[in-house]
Amino acid sequence: MTLLRVSDLSRTFQTANGPVHAVRNVSFDVQRGECLAVVGESGSGKTTLANMILGILTSSSGDIAFKGTPLPAKRTPAQRRAIQFVQQNPLSSLNPKRSVGASVRLGLDTYGIGDRADRTRRVEAALESVGLPGDMRRRAPAALSGGQRQRVGIARALVCEPELLVLDEPTSALDVLVQARVLRLLNDLRRDRGLTYIFITHDLAVVRNVADRVAVFRAGELVEIGSTEAIFSSPDHAYTRRLIGAMPVVDDTELDLRNRLAEGT
Amino acid sequence: MIRSLRIISASPLSLIGLILVAVIVLAAIFAPLLAPFPTHNGSVVDFAFANQAPSARNWFGTDLVGRDIFSRILYAYRISLVLGVVVLAIAVPIGTLVGLFAGYMGGWTEAVLMRIVDVFLSIPPLVLAIAVLGVLEPTLTNAMIAVTVMWWPWYARLVYAIARSEREEGYVLAAEVIGAPTRHIALREILPNCWPAIITKMTLDMGFVIIIASSLSFLGLGVQPPTPDLGSMVAEGARYLPDSWWMTVFPGLAILAAVFGFNLLGDGLREVLGVQE
Amino acid sequence: MTALLDIRDLRLGFRTLAGQIDVLHGIDLAIRAGEQVALVGESGSGKSVTARIILGLLQETRSARVSGRVGFDGRDVMMMSPKERAALRGIEMSMIFQDPTSSLNPTFTIERQFAEVMRRPDRKLTRAACRERAARMLDEVSIPDTGRVLDAYPFQLSGGMNQRVMIAMALANNPKLLLADEPGTALDVSVQAQTLDLMRDLVTRHGTSVLFISHNMGVVREFADRIYVIYRGRIVEEGPTPAVFADPGHAYTRALLKAVPRITGRGLPDVPEVSDDFFDPMVRHGGTS
Repeated sequence: MTLLRVSDLSRTFQTANGPVHAVRNVSFDVQRGECLAVVGESGSGKTTLANMILGILTSSSGDIAFKGTPLPAKRTPAQRRAIQFVQQNPLSSLNPKRSVGASVRLGLDTYGIGDRADRTRRVEAALESVGLPGDMRRRAPAALSGGQRQRVGIARALVCEPELLVLDEPTSALDVLVQARVLRLLNDLRRDRGLTYIFITHDLAVVRNVADRVAVFRAGELVEIGSTEAIFSSPDHAYTRRLIGAMPVVDDTELDLRNRLAEGT
Repeated sequence: MIRSLRIISASPLSLIGLILVAVIVLAAIFAPLLAPFPTHNGSVVDFAFANQAPSARNWFGTDLVGRDIFSRILYAYRISLVLGVVVLAIAVPIGTLVGLFAGYMGGWTEAVLMRIVDVFLSIPPLVLAIAVLGVLEPTLTNAMIAVTVMWWPWYARLVYAIARSEREEGYVLAAEVIGAPTRHIALREILPNCWPAIITKMTLDMGFVIIIASSLSFLGLGVQPPTPDLGSMVAEGARYLPDSWWMTVFPGLAILAAVFGFNLLGDGLREVLGVQE
Repeated sequence: MTALLDIRDLRLGFRTLAGQIDVLHGIDLAIRAGEQVALVGESGSGKSVTARIILGLLQETRSARVSGRVGFDGRDVMMMSPKERAALRGIEMSMIFQDPTSSLNPTFTIERQFAEVMRRPDRKLTRAACRERAARMLDEVSIPDTGRVLDAYPFQLSGGMNQRVMIAMALANNPKLLLADEPGTALDVSVQAQTLDLMRDLVTRHGTSVLFISHNMGVVREFADRIYVIYRGRIVEEGPTPAVFADPGHAYTRALLKAVPRITGRGLPDVPEVSDDFFDPMVRHGGTS
């Protein structure tokens, strides 16, 4: 079943040097329960695309339909609640002056879910579901490690009981050992809760291990979309091959595969 | 709290500031108990002791009508501190709200609010206050209004700059994605991050407000006699320099001590609260 | 052959209100002339402060307590005066940072910034000579149209271009040692790969020794001859790059390698974030000093 359908979506920004087409005529579907990786380098338009899906940026043309209904420019609380967000930088994503609990509870307060005691229970449950103790809600973010903060960021999204999560480079600011744990957590949550992910990243090795399908963007355009298997066995587009060729690798099997894919043989 | 005290006491200068401010505030609060001549607060005359140099009876000497200068300084501190607190209590919320919404919302809100702030900032503060007092009667209340009018734009500008940079932080983005109301984002998310800078500036400003208020009284535009005020005491005494030096020097030192104390404490707080310049 | 850089029992602590916090617990690290060595570790492991100590920058920080020996070209950086240390920087040793655009001065042209660097050892260098040498350096990092780049301001150039300019500038005085702190991490992967290749070629040609600081095992594998793995202020493993990757001896190195996602898609590994054996004694691979 198609959960999200992006049709002919474009966004143009007016700048001093004339219009910039940040996203140009992009169309794709996201199926319920899948993890779609959105891959691209800076200027690829992936952040603009994410902001449009999240409803904090309007499109210039085209539309986004969620469960068959086109999303309006001003979304209802229910529509906002269904699509949540996990961002890249765990250092800035939590307000240093508010407790962990206050940050996680924001969605419940905004959408008016439950009474006071119920919200506290939900916050604790959300923290526990990302592997943190429930009483961490009383703590200040400054006392948390980068990995813990990123888990709080995930809990803040989960507490709203969303259907779709937009994850913007959720692990690229983390140390490798922490990244591995957080990626496993994200995988488990998706399986257990039937969540759908749009996973934005530049790291193809992460993509290979978490995504069902991959969409490759360059300069605002979708250049290639296909199953992860297909992209990592025979990438069609020269740009995709170049991205794979630039990946640092740690063992010889990987090196062979990378060089084979990069050369397109 | 204990940690803050430890940081402040780690720097001798801020510790001096803390002690000075504490002594001044306590002296002002307990003026009726501490002043050797509590009645000299008003228009008492005691010509038998007029124009006396400092002595065991009158530590800081007496003025032309025989009032004890030490007692009057203690009462003058009361007025100065009340004036400072009232001015800041009005100027800070106004300036903070203007700066906060201008900085976070941007666009037209920002353009309109910040141009108004610029107009106020472009007039030299003392000139603005003198203008206000020229229109209104020179009373204590009006002196407070005058100082408030010139003070709030500085807070608007300070908070505006912080809100502008906080707007780019991830936690604001997170709140926007959730769809939290603007009021929530400005007051509950961004404002708490402005407090350290605001509190630091308030401490520093207590000293400046005392100077400005004293300057206004020195010019005869502020607190009116017989209410004791540090500025008017200096002005009055200046006519009898250098012979009756104590009439000017002690009130002058009292202003210096207050300004110096609040400034040193403010610098210390900047450290404690981790405010960036 | 003696080492160009010879660090012995380097310790670093910061005095705070809560007492002393130890950051480096006695590390030994050596780099021979012309050798490219990597220092790999997570954030907070002490790798960046090590570079700052080598450059003589942390010694002047009041709250820092540094001890040990930092031998550089036969002299001990720790024993030098601040002035002597300043004279080394940019001439005998230089550094490349993570974000090239923010480490160049936005108000001066590239040519002027080159001139500033090149006039440090030779104040009398003429403008024409500076420009000519700068153009030659830019040419070495494969920058086409060197004239245009020299007249440009950093914000007029792309991040990748600025990174190349930084590399050229860092090598302009032919330093003996180059410290590269996560170079290119702020750039796109494809640009990062290109600039690292370029840097590798250049230092090999000039015979420059490099201390390459990184958290990325993959990048390190392509760049370094030899690796030090650092964990919480202790070196846990040292050896030639192929040996460390083929046969990681320390539990921490093994976890680090296992945790890296592979493009061959072996799934997400189950590794702990911390473990007691990460604090095991150091493992040295044979064949090195």
